[in-house]
Amino acid sequence: MKPEDSEEKILEALREMLNEAVGEDLMIDEPIGMETSFNEDLELESIEFVALAEQLQLRYGESVDFAAWISGKDLDEIIALKVGDLVRFIASCRT
Amino acid sequence: MPYLNANGVRLHLQRLGEGPPLVMLHGLLIGSLASWYFTAAPALARQSSVLLYDLRGHGRSERVALGYDSDTMVVDLEAVTEELPEPITLVGHSYGAVVALKFALRHPHRVARLALVEAPLPPSAAGEVNDFLALEPAQMLQVLPDSVKSMFAGRRRAAGRLLKNLHYLATQSSLIDDLRAETDIADETLAALQCPVLLVYGTQSPCREVGVRLSRALPRAELVLLDGGHNLPLEATQALTECLTGFCHG
Repeated sequence: MKPEDSEEKILEALREMLNEAVGEDLMIDEPIGMETSFNEDLELESIEFVALAEQLQLRYGESVDFAAWISGKDLDEIIALKVGDLVRFIASCRT
Repeated sequence: MPYLNANGVRLHLQRLGEGPPLVMLHGLLIGSLASWYFTAAPALARQSSVLLYDLRGHGRSERVALGYDSDTMVVDLEAVTEELPEPITLVGHSYGAVVALKFALRHPHRVARLALVEAPLPPSAAGEVNDFLALEPAQMLQVLPDSVKSMFAGRRRAAGRLLKNLHYLATQSSLIDDLRAETDIADETLAALQCPVLLVYGTQSPCREVGVRLSRALPRAELVLLDGGHNLPLEATQALTECLTGFCHG
């Protein structure tokens, strides 16, 4: 595994991508960690989640197929996702 | 962020998957391309090159004061599909379905298949829509179906942003006037459409009878009723996705 594919580094990258996707509007009192929920903590709008998916694609290319991953989930599951779920998914694609 | 200048308006687009071209259009006000992105689009993208875009004034497309009539939106769609190989499959929900239908009537040779989910026809006659539009934006949020409300429960930031956009569209754009001025499409016009059409309506939807009428007027239409109301992408995600993949990839 490359160093940049550790969960820690992916989390760091994800923080950057969230800033890119949502920008200054990102509302959060605590630092974004694995337990941060996209819905309750970050209050991402669905269209912002799309922008995050686009950032993932720009960064990781086809190795991370976000669309295929969410197509196996129903809406409630997508809404309940935590940052850690996405980090672990990315890590699993990169190994 | 991929944007396209279409018909003088900056539209936000997203692409998923590879295969024959398929374009998806969302409904007005609370809709955006995310309405499809998180429901049926990923499954369709397994066999199609899916293009999603935010209608003018919605999602991350430009906020514009004018042009919410279906004719102008058909011109937007013409610009969006200009570079695509033909023929294309169109999938629309609610007003997006009306735009897709009008596009197909105007360019019959360019459309392979047409899936209309809860198309209101004429849009101005959908009583519920008119009632909704007559509300103050803050009230609009209260009367949203549970499936939509639950997405915003306890989420003040997200709810606030939706409200801001509803407020803009309802009070500072021509959307309401444009909708009220929409006219019906005559049965003789519908009868000329030769492509296969899938009609999907909710059993509890106020638009349900429109589905019955369209299934009689369109020569190659198939009507499917799903358990749910007007917002089928959210209310019957899985059943709708299965219907759409069966029809588009059948």
